Amino acid sequence: MAGRRALKAVLIDLSGTLHIEDTAVPGAQEALSRLRQASVAVKFVTNTTKESRRNLLERLQRLNFDLQEKEIFTSLSAARSLLEQKQHRPLLLVEDGALEDFTGIDTSEPNAVVVGLAPDHFNYQTLNTAFRMILDGAPLIAIHKARYYKRKDGLALGPGPFVTGLEYATDRKATVVGKPEETFFAQALSDLGCSPSEAVMIGDDARDDVGGAQSAGMLGILVRTGKYRDGDEGKIDPPPHLTCDSFPDAVEHILQNLL
Amino acid sequence: MRSGLSAMADTGWPGCARSLKGVILDLCGVLYDSGEGDGVAIRGSIEAVRRLKESDLQLRFCTNETQATREKFVAKLQRLGFDICVSEVFPPAPAAVAVLKERGLRPHLLVHDGLLPEFDSVDKTSPNCVIVGDAAENFSYQNLNEAFRVLIGLEKPVLFSLGQGRYYKETDGLKLDVGVYMKALEYACDLKAEVIGKPSPTFFQTVLNDMGLQPHEALMIGDDLLNDVGGAQHCGMRGVQVRTGKYRPSDEKHPTVTADGTVDDLAQAVELILNQRRN
Repeated sequence: MAGRRALKAVLIDLSGTLHIEDTAVPGAQEALSRLRQASVAVKFVTNTTKESRRNLLERLQRLNFDLQEKEIFTSLSAARSLLEQKQHRPLLLVEDGALEDFTGIDTSEPNAVVVGLAPDHFNYQTLNTAFRMILDGAPLIAIHKARYYKRKDGLALGPGPFVTGLEYATDRKATVVGKPEETFFAQALSDLGCSPSEAVMIGDDARDDVGGAQSAGMLGILVRTGKYRDGDEGKIDPPPHLTCDSFPDAVEHILQNLL
Repeated sequence: MRSGLSAMADTGWPGCARSLKGVILDLCGVLYDSGEGDGVAIRGSIEAVRRLKESDLQLRFCTNETQATREKFVAKLQRLGFDICVSEVFPPAPAAVAVLKERGLRPHLLVHDGLLPEFDSVDKTSPNCVIVGDAAENFSYQNLNEAFRVLIGLEKPVLFSLGQGRYYKETDGLKLDVGVYMKALEYACDLKAEVIGKPSPTFFQTVLNDMGLQPHEALMIGDDLLNDVGGAQHCGMRGVQVRTGKYRPSDEKHPTVTADGTVDDLAQAVELILNQRRN
Protein backbone atom coordinates (compact mmCIF):
# COMPACT_ATOMS: atom_id res chain seq x y z
CA MET A 1 0.00 0.00 0.00
CA ALA A 2 1.27 3.51 -0.83
CA GLY A 3 2.70 5.66 1.94
CA ARG A 4 0.28 7.82 3.87
CA ARG A 5 -0.47 11.27 2.50
CA ALA A 6 -0.40 14.23 4.83
CA LEU A 7 -4.00 15.25 4.43
CA LYS A 8 -4.74 18.89 5.17
CA ALA A 9 -8.16 19.50 3.68
CA VAL A 10 -11.41 17.72 2.92
CA LEU A 11 -13.82 19.09 0.34
CA ILE A 12 -17.36 17.85 0.78
CA ASP A 13 -20.15 17.97 -1.77
CA LEU A 14 -23.56 18.93 -0.39
CA SER A 15 -26.62 17.76 -2.37
CA GLY A 16 -26.57 13.98 -2.63
CA THR A 17 -23.65 13.57 -0.25
CA LEU A 18 -24.58 15.24 3.05
CA HIS A 19 -28.30 15.52 2.33
CA ILE A 20 -30.98 14.82 -0.25
CA GLU A 21 -33.33 17.80 -0.47
CA ASP A 22 -34.54 18.29 3.12
CA THR A 23 -33.33 15.00 4.57
CA ALA A 24 -29.85 14.48 5.97
CA VAL A 25 -27.91 11.33 5.00
CA PRO A 26 -28.13 9.10 8.10
CA GLY A 27 -25.16 9.57 10.44
CA ALA A 28 -23.72 12.44 8.44
CA GLN A 29 -23.92 15.09 11.15
CA GLU A 30 -22.02 12.94 13.59
CA ALA A 31 -19.46 11.94 10.95
CA LEU A 32 -18.81 15.63 10.22
CA SER A 33 -18.19 16.29 13.91
CA ARG A 34 -15.68 13.45 14.03
CA LEU A 35 -13.93 14.84 10.99
CA ARG A 36 -13.68 18.28 12.57
CA GLN A 37 -11.93 16.78 15.60
CA ALA A 38 -9.06 15.73 13.33
CA SER A 39 -6.69 18.47 12.26
CA VAL A 40 -8.02 19.00 8.73
CA ALA A 41 -9.68 22.00 7.16
CA VAL A 42 -13.16 21.40 5.79
CA LYS A 43 -14.91 23.13 2.92
CA PHE A 44 -18.31 22.55 1.44
CA VAL A 45 -18.20 22.81 -2.31
CA THR A 46 -21.26 22.68 -4.46
CA ASN A 47 -22.55 23.26 -7.97
CA THR A 48 -25.97 23.95 -6.55
CA THR A 49 -27.16 27.05 -8.39
CA LYS A 50 -30.66 27.33 -7.09
CA GLU A 51 -29.70 28.72 -3.72
CA SER A 52 -27.51 31.44 -2.30
CA ARG A 53 -24.84 30.62 0.29
CA ARG A 54 -27.10 31.95 3.00
CA ASN A 55 -29.94 29.62 1.97
CA LEU A 56 -27.59 26.65 1.90
CA LEU A 57 -26.26 27.51 5.32
CA GLU A 58 -29.73 27.82 6.81
CA ARG A 59 -30.88 24.50 5.41
CA LEU A 60 -27.79 22.66 6.61
CA GLN A 61 -28.09 24.18 10.06
CA ARG A 62 -31.76 23.13 10.18
CA LEU A 63 -30.51 19.60 9.51
CA ASN A 64 -28.13 19.96 12.47
CA PHE A 65 -24.89 20.25 10.54
CA ASP A 66 -22.21 22.33 12.17
CA LEU A 67 -20.69 24.79 9.64
CA GLN A 68 -20.13 28.48 8.84
CA GLU A 69 -21.08 30.47 5.74
CA LYS A 70 -17.46 31.17 4.84
CA GLU A 71 -16.82 27.42 4.56
CA ILE A 72 -19.28 27.21 1.69
CA PHE A 73 -17.88 27.67 -1.82
CA THR A 74 -20.35 27.50 -4.68
CA SER A 75 -20.10 27.73 -8.42
CA LEU A 76 -22.20 30.91 -8.11
CA SER A 77 -19.28 32.40 -6.15
CA ALA A 78 -17.00 31.35 -8.97
CA ALA A 79 -19.31 32.86 -11.63
CA ARG A 80 -19.63 36.16 -9.83
CA SER A 81 -15.90 36.66 -9.60
CA LEU A 82 -15.55 35.96 -13.32
CA LEU A 83 -18.23 38.53 -14.17
CA GLU A 84 -16.51 41.13 -12.00
CA GLN A 85 -13.16 40.35 -13.53
CA LYS A 86 -14.41 40.82 -17.09
CA GLN A 87 -16.96 43.53 -16.29
CA HIS A 88 -19.76 41.70 -18.08
CA ARG A 89 -23.43 42.65 -17.70
CA PRO A 90 -25.21 39.30 -17.51
CA LEU A 91 -28.53 37.88 -18.60
CA LEU A 92 -28.91 35.66 -15.55
CA LEU A 93 -30.65 32.38 -16.28
CA VAL A 94 -30.53 31.33 -12.67
CA GLU A 95 -33.19 30.43 -10.14
CA ASP A 96 -34.65 33.36 -8.15
CA GLY A 97 -33.12 32.02 -4.95
CA ALA A 98 -29.64 32.36 -6.44
CA LEU A 99 -29.98 35.96 -7.60
CA GLU A 100 -28.97 37.14 -4.13
CA ASP A 101 -25.37 36.07 -4.79
CA PHE A 102 -25.27 38.48 -7.74
CA THR A 103 -26.49 41.62 -6.00
CA GLY A 104 -24.46 44.59 -7.05
CA ILE A 105 -23.81 43.27 -10.56
CA ASP A 106 -25.22 45.50 -13.30
CA THR A 107 -27.71 43.52 -15.41
CA SER A 108 -28.97 46.31 -17.67
CA GLU A 109 -28.43 45.89 -21.44
CA PRO A 110 -26.88 42.48 -20.89
CA ASN A 111 -23.86 41.50 -22.96
CA ALA A 112 -23.21 38.06 -21.49
CA VAL A 113 -25.33 35.01 -20.80
CA VAL A 114 -25.00 33.13 -17.51
CA VAL A 115 -26.67 29.73 -17.34
CA GLY A 116 -27.33 27.97 -14.05
CA LEU A 117 -29.94 25.44 -13.05
CA ALA A 118 -33.11 27.30 -13.92
CA PRO A 119 -35.97 25.11 -15.15
CA ASP A 120 -38.25 28.15 -15.27
CA HIS A 121 -35.94 29.84 -17.75
CA PHE A 122 -35.30 26.80 -19.93
CA ASN A 123 -38.34 27.43 -22.05
CA TYR A 124 -38.23 27.94 -25.81
CA GLN A 125 -38.66 31.71 -25.69
CA THR A 126 -35.93 32.46 -23.16
CA LEU A 127 -33.47 30.08 -24.76
CA ASN A 128 -34.09 31.77 -28.11
CA THR A 129 -33.26 35.13 -26.52
CA ALA A 130 -30.04 33.74 -25.08
CA PHE A 131 -29.21 32.08 -28.40
CA ARG A 132 -29.54 35.31 -30.36
CA MET A 133 -27.36 37.21 -27.86
CA ILE A 134 -24.62 34.60 -28.08
CA LEU A 135 -24.80 34.51 -31.86
CA ASP A 136 -24.26 38.26 -31.79
CA GLY A 137 -21.12 37.87 -29.69
CA ALA A 138 -22.17 37.67 -26.04
CA PRO A 139 -20.00 35.21 -24.06
CA LEU A 140 -21.73 32.15 -22.64
CA ILE A 141 -20.86 31.38 -19.03
CA ALA A 142 -22.01 28.10 -17.57
CA ILE A 143 -22.11 27.83 -13.82
CA HIS A 144 -21.70 24.13 -14.34
CA LYS A 145 -22.60 21.46 -16.89
CA ALA A 146 -24.20 18.77 -14.77
CA ARG A 147 -26.17 16.33 -16.91
CA TYR A 148 -28.89 15.74 -14.37
CA TYR A 149 -29.61 15.75 -10.66
CA LYS A 150 -31.85 13.86 -8.31
CA ARG A 151 -35.12 15.38 -7.19
CA LYS A 152 -37.67 13.79 -4.90
CA ASP A 153 -39.74 12.85 -7.96
CA GLY A 154 -36.87 11.34 -9.94
CA LEU A 155 -33.98 12.44 -12.12
CA ALA A 156 -34.17 15.88 -13.70
CA LEU A 157 -32.16 17.63 -16.44
CA GLY A 158 -29.35 19.87 -15.21
CA PRO A 159 -27.99 22.92 -17.03
CA GLY A 160 -25.42 20.87 -18.96
CA PRO A 161 -27.77 19.74 -21.72
CA PHE A 162 -28.98 23.30 -22.33
CA VAL A 163 -25.48 24.73 -22.36
CA THR A 164 -24.43 22.02 -24.81
CA GLY A 165 -27.43 22.85 -26.98
CA LEU A 166 -26.55 26.57 -27.03
CA GLU A 167 -22.92 25.75 -27.83
CA TYR A 168 -24.10 23.67 -30.78
CA ALA A 169 -26.55 26.33 -31.96
CA THR A 170 -23.95 29.10 -31.93
CA ASP A 171 -20.76 27.14 -32.62
CA ARG A 172 -19.21 28.74 -29.51
CA LYS A 173 -17.78 27.24 -26.35
CA ALA A 174 -19.08 28.09 -22.92
CA THR A 175 -16.73 29.10 -20.11
CA VAL A 176 -17.56 26.68 -17.32
CA VAL A 177 -16.86 27.87 -13.82
CA GLY A 178 -18.20 25.01 -11.70
CA LYS A 179 -17.21 21.40 -11.02
CA PRO A 180 -15.46 19.55 -12.58
CA GLU A 181 -13.29 22.44 -13.82
CA GLU A 182 -9.83 22.45 -12.29
CA THR A 183 -10.01 26.17 -11.45
CA PHE A 184 -13.06 25.51 -9.30
CA PHE A 185 -11.15 23.10 -7.05
CA ALA A 186 -8.05 25.27 -7.04
CA GLN A 187 -10.10 28.31 -6.04
CA ALA A 188 -11.87 26.33 -3.32
CA LEU A 189 -8.53 25.34 -1.77
CA SER A 190 -6.82 28.71 -2.28
CA ASP A 191 -7.57 30.16 1.14
CA LEU A 192 -6.85 26.88 2.96
CA GLY A 193 -3.13 27.06 2.34
CA CYS A 194 -2.77 23.57 0.91
CA SER A 195 -2.08 22.02 -2.46
CA PRO A 196 -4.46 19.61 -4.24
CA SER A 197 -2.20 16.66 -3.35
CA GLU A 198 -2.96 17.37 0.30
CA ALA A 199 -6.72 17.30 -0.18
CA VAL A 200 -9.52 14.80 -0.72
CA MET A 201 -12.98 15.33 -2.27
CA ILE A 202 -16.09 13.39 -1.21
CA GLY A 203 -19.09 13.38 -3.58
CA ASP A 204 -21.90 11.43 -5.29
CA ASP A 205 -21.15 12.48 -8.88
CA ALA A 206 -18.43 10.28 -10.37
CA ARG A 207 -17.53 12.66 -13.18
CA ASP A 208 -18.06 16.09 -11.67
CA ASP A 209 -17.02 15.47 -8.04
CA VAL A 210 -14.52 12.63 -8.07
CA GLY A 211 -13.24 12.81 -11.65
CA GLY A 212 -12.85 16.58 -11.50
CA ALA A 213 -11.08 16.53 -8.14
CA GLN A 214 -8.70 13.78 -9.21
CA SER A 215 -7.87 15.63 -12.44
CA ALA A 216 -7.00 18.61 -10.25
CA GLY A 217 -4.56 16.44 -8.28
CA MET A 218 -6.73 15.52 -5.31
CA LEU A 219 -7.93 12.12 -4.07
CA GLY A 220 -11.59 11.35 -4.73
CA ILE A 221 -14.08 9.33 -2.69
CA LEU A 222 -17.34 8.35 -4.40
CA VAL A 223 -20.41 7.77 -2.21
CA ARG A 224 -23.36 5.64 -3.23
CA THR A 225 -26.02 8.14 -2.29
CA GLY A 226 -27.80 10.88 -4.20
CA LYS A 227 -27.46 10.61 -7.96
CA TYR A 228 -25.06 7.66 -7.81
CA ARG A 229 -26.07 4.79 -10.10
CA ASP A 230 -24.60 1.27 -10.21
CA GLY A 231 -21.39 1.18 -12.20
CA ASP A 232 -20.65 4.92 -12.02
CA GLU A 233 -17.22 4.16 -10.55
CA GLY A 234 -16.29 2.50 -13.83
CA LYS A 235 -17.05 5.62 -15.83
CA ILE A 236 -13.98 7.60 -14.82
CA ASP A 237 -10.32 6.96 -15.39
CA PRO A 238 -8.52 6.65 -13.07
CA PRO A 239 -11.26 5.15 -10.89
CA PRO A 240 -12.10 6.70 -7.51
CA HIS A 241 -9.55 6.25 -4.75
CA LEU A 242 -12.47 4.74 -2.86
CA THR A 243 -16.14 3.98 -3.48
CA CYS A 244 -18.20 3.55 -0.32
CA ASP A 245 -21.80 3.51 0.82
CA SER A 246 -22.13 7.02 2.24
CA PHE A 247 -20.47 10.00 3.84
CA PRO A 248 -19.94 8.42 7.29
CA ASP A 249 -18.02 5.55 5.63
CA ALA A 250 -15.88 8.06 3.74
CA VAL A 251 -15.04 9.88 6.96
CA GLU A 252 -14.17 6.59 8.64
CA HIS A 253 -11.78 5.78 5.81
CA ILE A 254 -10.11 9.17 6.05
CA LEU A 255 -9.69 8.98 9.81
CA GLN A 256 -8.20 5.50 9.65
CA ASN A 257 -6.07 5.70 6.50
CA LEU A 258 -5.29 9.21 5.30
CA LEU A 259 -4.24 11.18 8.35
CA MET B 1 -7.33 21.15 -69.57
CA ARG B 2 -10.56 21.70 -71.43
CA SER B 3 -10.84 20.78 -75.07
CA GLY B 4 -12.25 23.57 -77.19
CA LEU B 5 -15.71 22.25 -77.97
CA SER B 6 -16.38 19.55 -75.45
CA ALA B 7 -18.07 20.45 -72.18
CA MET B 8 -16.83 17.27 -70.50
CA ALA B 9 -14.52 19.09 -68.10
CA ASP B 10 -17.21 21.49 -66.80
CA THR B 11 -17.55 20.28 -63.26
CA GLY B 12 -17.85 23.63 -61.53
CA TRP B 13 -20.92 25.78 -60.99
CA PRO B 14 -22.72 26.96 -63.00
CA GLY B 15 -21.25 24.97 -65.89
CA CYS B 16 -22.20 21.70 -64.24
CA ALA B 17 -25.84 22.59 -64.85
CA ARG B 18 -25.44 21.36 -68.42
CA SER B 19 -25.12 17.73 -67.42
CA LEU B 20 -27.76 17.78 -64.69
CA LYS B 21 -30.84 15.61 -64.86
CA GLY B 22 -32.52 16.63 -61.63
CA VAL B 23 -32.79 19.37 -59.04
CA ILE B 24 -33.71 18.92 -55.39
CA LEU B 25 -34.98 21.94 -53.50
CA ASP B 26 -35.13 22.65 -49.82
CA LEU B 27 -38.41 24.35 -48.82
CA CYS B 28 -38.06 26.69 -45.83
CA GLY B 29 -35.61 29.47 -46.61
CA VAL B 30 -35.63 28.70 -50.33
CA LEU B 31 -39.26 28.76 -51.40
CA TYR B 32 -40.64 30.66 -48.41
CA ASP B 33 -39.91 32.05 -44.95
CA SER B 34 -42.10 30.67 -42.18
CA GLY B 35 -43.79 32.91 -39.64
CA GLU B 36 -47.24 34.22 -38.85
CA GLY B 37 -49.97 32.27 -40.64
CA ASP B 38 -48.73 30.68 -43.83
CA GLY B 39 -45.48 32.64 -43.87
CA VAL B 40 -44.26 34.55 -46.89
CA ALA B 41 -43.12 33.35 -50.33
CA ILE B 42 -39.57 34.44 -51.10
CA ARG B 43 -39.45 36.85 -54.01
CA GLY B 44 -39.07 35.10 -57.34
CA SER B 45 -39.40 31.58 -55.93
CA ILE B 46 -42.90 30.78 -57.23
CA GLU B 47 -41.83 31.67 -60.76
CA ALA B 48 -38.54 29.79 -60.32
CA VAL B 49 -40.33 26.55 -59.40
CA ARG B 50 -42.66 26.98 -62.36
CA ARG B 51 -39.69 27.43 -64.70
CA LEU B 52 -38.01 24.29 -63.36
CA LYS B 53 -41.17 22.27 -63.85
CA GLU B 54 -41.44 23.45 -67.43
CA SER B 55 -37.85 22.42 -68.13
CA ASP B 56 -36.63 18.89 -68.84
CA LEU B 57 -35.15 18.57 -65.36
CA GLN B 58 -36.70 16.32 -62.74
CA LEU B 59 -37.74 18.17 -59.60
CA ARG B 60 -38.18 17.05 -56.00
CA PHE B 61 -38.43 18.81 -52.64
CA CYS B 62 -36.39 17.55 -49.72
CA THR B 63 -37.25 19.13 -46.41
CA ASN B 64 -36.70 18.69 -42.68
CA GLU B 65 -40.11 20.25 -42.06
CA THR B 66 -41.55 18.64 -38.93
CA GLN B 67 -44.09 21.13 -37.62
CA ALA B 68 -46.91 19.79 -39.79
CA THR B 69 -47.95 16.78 -41.85
CA ARG B 70 -47.05 16.57 -45.53
CA GLU B 71 -50.62 17.23 -46.59
CA LYS B 72 -50.88 20.34 -44.40
CA PHE B 73 -47.66 22.05 -45.38
CA VAL B 74 -48.02 21.24 -49.08
CA ALA B 75 -51.51 22.78 -48.93
CA LYS B 76 -49.93 25.85 -47.32
CA LEU B 77 -47.37 26.14 -50.09
CA GLN B 78 -50.12 25.78 -52.68
CA ARG B 79 -52.00 28.61 -50.98
CA LEU B 80 -48.87 30.74 -51.26
CA GLY B 81 -48.96 30.08 -55.00
CA PHE B 82 -46.46 27.23 -55.47
CA ASP B 83 -46.98 24.44 -57.98
CA ILE B 84 -46.15 21.49 -55.73
CA CYS B 85 -47.77 18.21 -54.73
CA VAL B 86 -47.35 15.68 -51.93
CA SER B 87 -45.71 12.97 -54.02
CA GLU B 88 -42.84 15.29 -54.88
CA VAL B 89 -42.06 16.12 -51.25
CA PHE B 90 -39.73 14.18 -48.92
CA PRO B 91 -39.94 15.11 -45.22
CA PRO B 92 -38.56 13.09 -42.26
CA ALA B 93 -41.71 11.86 -40.49
CA PRO B 94 -42.77 9.21 -43.06
CA ALA B 95 -39.19 7.96 -43.17
CA ALA B 96 -39.21 7.72 -39.37
CA VAL B 97 -42.46 5.74 -39.37
CA ALA B 98 -40.89 3.29 -41.80
CA VAL B 99 -37.84 2.88 -39.55
CA LEU B 100 -40.02 2.27 -36.49
CA LYS B 101 -41.95 -0.47 -38.27
CA GLU B 102 -38.76 -2.04 -39.63
CA ARG B 103 -37.19 -2.24 -36.18
CA GLY B 104 -40.28 -2.90 -34.08
CA LEU B 105 -39.88 0.31 -32.06
CA ARG B 106 -42.55 2.21 -30.12
CA PRO B 107 -41.83 5.93 -29.76
CA HIS B 108 -42.19 8.57 -27.09
CA LEU B 109 -42.79 11.66 -29.22
CA LEU B 110 -41.34 15.10 -28.51
CA VAL B 111 -42.66 16.83 -31.59
CA HIS B 112 -44.85 19.71 -32.70
CA ASP B 113 -48.56 19.01 -32.19
CA GLY B 114 -49.06 19.47 -35.93
CA LEU B 115 -46.87 16.46 -36.68
CA LEU B 116 -48.74 13.96 -34.49
CA PRO B 117 -51.13 12.73 -37.23
CA GLU B 118 -48.12 11.33 -39.14
CA PHE B 119 -47.74 8.88 -36.26
CA ASP B 120 -51.40 7.84 -35.91
CA SER B 121 -50.72 4.34 -37.20
CA VAL B 122 -47.84 3.80 -34.79
CA ASP B 123 -48.05 1.96 -31.45
CA LYS B 124 -46.95 4.44 -28.80
CA THR B 125 -47.54 2.36 -25.68
CA SER B 126 -44.58 1.36 -23.46
CA PRO B 127 -42.15 3.42 -25.53
CA ASN B 128 -38.72 1.95 -26.19
CA CYS B 129 -37.31 4.93 -28.06
CA VAL B 130 -37.69 8.71 -28.29
CA ILE B 131 -38.29 10.76 -31.42
CA VAL B 132 -37.51 14.45 -31.31
CA GLY B 133 -38.65 16.85 -34.03
CA ASP B 134 -38.90 20.61 -34.43
CA ALA B 135 -41.21 21.01 -31.47
CA ALA B 136 -40.84 24.80 -31.02
CA GLU B 137 -43.03 25.84 -28.06
CA ASN B 138 -43.32 22.19 -27.04
CA PHE B 139 -39.65 22.33 -26.07
CA SER B 140 -40.56 23.11 -22.48
CA TYR B 141 -38.35 21.95 -19.62
CA GLN B 142 -41.09 19.57 -18.56
CA ASN B 143 -41.46 17.92 -21.96
CA LEU B 144 -37.71 17.58 -22.34
CA ASN B 145 -37.47 16.08 -18.90
CA GLU B 146 -40.12 13.53 -19.80
CA ALA B 147 -38.22 12.49 -22.90
CA PHE B 148 -35.01 12.34 -20.89
CA ARG B 149 -36.63 10.08 -18.29
CA VAL B 150 -37.85 7.66 -20.97
CA LEU B 151 -34.32 7.38 -22.36
CA ILE B 152 -32.50 7.12 -19.04
CA GLY B 153 -34.89 4.36 -18.00
CA LEU B 154 -34.19 2.17 -21.04
CA GLU B 155 -31.54 -0.50 -21.03
CA LYS B 156 -30.86 0.20 -24.70
CA PRO B 157 -31.89 3.83 -25.21
CA VAL B 158 -32.55 4.87 -28.81
CA LEU B 159 -32.99 8.49 -29.80
CA PHE B 160 -34.10 9.56 -33.28
CA SER B 161 -33.77 13.16 -34.32
CA LEU B 162 -35.75 14.38 -37.30
CA GLY B 163 -32.95 16.46 -38.75
CA GLN B 164 -30.14 18.08 -36.78
CA GLY B 165 -30.47 21.75 -37.78
CA ARG B 166 -29.14 24.40 -35.42
CA TYR B 167 -31.63 27.14 -36.18
CA TYR B 168 -34.00 28.41 -38.85
CA LYS B 169 -35.34 31.75 -39.83
CA GLU B 170 -38.85 32.90 -39.18
CA THR B 171 -40.22 36.31 -40.09
CA ASP B 172 -39.47 37.53 -36.55
CA GLY B 173 -35.90 36.26 -36.33
CA LEU B 174 -33.76 33.15 -35.90
CA LYS B 175 -35.10 30.30 -33.78
CA LEU B 176 -33.56 27.17 -32.25
CA ASP B 177 -34.04 24.01 -34.30
CA VAL B 178 -34.30 20.32 -33.41
CA GLY B 179 -30.52 19.71 -33.48
CA VAL B 180 -30.06 21.83 -30.37
CA TYR B 181 -32.40 19.63 -28.37
CA MET B 182 -30.96 16.48 -29.91
CA LYS B 183 -27.56 17.57 -28.58
CA ALA B 184 -29.09 18.37 -25.20
CA LEU B 185 -30.52 14.85 -24.85
CA GLU B 186 -27.36 13.25 -26.23
CA TYR B 187 -25.37 15.03 -23.56
CA ALA B 188 -27.81 14.25 -20.78
CA CYS B 189 -27.96 10.54 -21.60
CA ASP B 190 -24.45 10.07 -22.95
CA LEU B 191 -25.67 8.57 -26.21
CA LYS B 192 -25.68 9.42 -29.93
CA ALA B 193 -28.89 10.13 -31.78
CA GLU B 194 -29.75 8.65 -35.16
CA VAL B 195 -30.65 11.39 -37.59
CA ILE B 196 -33.60 10.83 -39.90
CA GLY B 197 -33.75 13.58 -42.50
CA LYS B 198 -31.07 15.83 -43.95
CA PRO B 199 -28.11 15.40 -43.86
CA SER B 200 -28.44 11.62 -43.49
CA PRO B 201 -27.18 9.98 -46.70
CA THR B 202 -30.00 7.40 -46.56
CA PHE B 203 -32.48 10.24 -46.70
CA PHE B 204 -30.96 11.83 -49.79
CA GLN B 205 -30.64 8.40 -51.41
CA THR B 206 -34.40 7.85 -51.03
CA VAL B 207 -35.01 10.97 -53.10
CA LEU B 208 -32.43 10.01 -55.72
CA ASN B 209 -33.98 6.55 -55.98
CA ASP B 210 -37.37 8.09 -56.53
CA MET B 211 -35.89 10.16 -59.36
CA GLY B 212 -33.94 7.21 -60.76
CA LEU B 213 -30.77 9.31 -60.78
CA GLN B 214 -27.14 8.93 -59.79
CA PRO B 215 -25.86 11.52 -57.30
CA HIS B 216 -23.68 13.30 -59.85
CA GLU B 217 -26.74 13.92 -61.99
CA ALA B 218 -28.49 15.93 -59.27
CA LEU B 219 -28.10 19.33 -57.67
CA MET B 220 -29.36 20.35 -54.21
CA ILE B 221 -30.30 23.96 -53.54
CA GLY B 222 -30.71 25.03 -49.90
CA ASP B 223 -30.16 27.75 -47.30
CA ASP B 224 -28.51 25.52 -44.70
CA LEU B 225 -24.81 25.16 -45.51
CA LEU B 226 -24.18 22.10 -43.40
CA ASN B 227 -27.38 20.11 -43.72
CA ASP B 228 -28.48 20.98 -47.29
CA VAL B 229 -25.25 21.72 -49.13
CA GLY B 230 -22.79 19.69 -47.05
CA GLY B 231 -25.18 16.77 -46.76
CA ALA B 232 -25.77 16.69 -50.52
CA GLN B 233 -22.07 16.95 -51.34
CA HIS B 234 -21.35 14.11 -48.96
CA CYS B 235 -23.57 11.91 -51.14
CA GLY B 236 -21.89 12.93 -54.36
CA MET B 237 -24.36 15.59 -55.44
CA ARG B 238 -23.54 19.23 -56.02
CA GLY B 239 -24.84 21.74 -53.50
CA VAL B 240 -25.65 25.39 -54.00
CA GLN B 241 -26.47 27.79 -51.17
CA VAL B 242 -28.97 30.64 -51.43
CA ARG B 243 -28.53 33.86 -49.51
CA THR B 244 -32.08 33.76 -48.21
CA GLY B 245 -33.48 32.01 -45.15
CA LYS B 246 -30.96 31.13 -42.48
CA TYR B 247 -27.92 32.02 -44.62
CA ARG B 248 -25.27 34.11 -42.83
CA PRO B 249 -22.28 35.80 -44.52
CA SER B 250 -19.90 33.73 -42.41
CA ASP B 251 -21.20 30.63 -44.26
CA GLU B 252 -19.08 31.69 -47.25
CA LYS B 253 -15.95 31.26 -45.14
CA HIS B 254 -16.84 27.98 -43.47
CA PRO B 255 -13.84 25.84 -42.45
CA THR B 256 -15.20 22.53 -43.69
CA VAL B 257 -18.01 23.06 -46.19
CA THR B 258 -17.63 25.03 -49.41
CA ALA B 259 -20.75 25.30 -51.53
CA ASP B 260 -20.33 24.58 -55.23
CA GLY B 261 -21.99 27.94 -55.74
CA THR B 262 -23.65 30.72 -53.75
CA VAL B 263 -26.51 32.68 -55.25
CA ASP B 264 -28.76 35.46 -54.03
CA ASP B 265 -31.93 33.39 -54.18
CA LEU B 266 -33.68 30.52 -55.93
CA ALA B 267 -34.69 32.75 -58.84
CA GLN B 268 -31.05 33.51 -59.58
CA ALA B 269 -30.07 29.85 -59.27
CA VAL B 270 -32.73 28.79 -61.75
CA GLU B 271 -31.80 31.61 -64.14
CA LEU B 272 -28.18 30.41 -64.14
CA ILE B 273 -29.15 26.75 -64.55
CA LEU B 274 -31.52 27.34 -67.45
CA ASN B 275 -29.06 29.70 -69.17
CA GLN B 276 -26.41 26.98 -69.10
CA ARG B 277 -28.78 24.47 -70.62
CA ARG B 278 -29.96 26.84 -73.35
CA ASN B 279 -26.52 27.07 -74.98
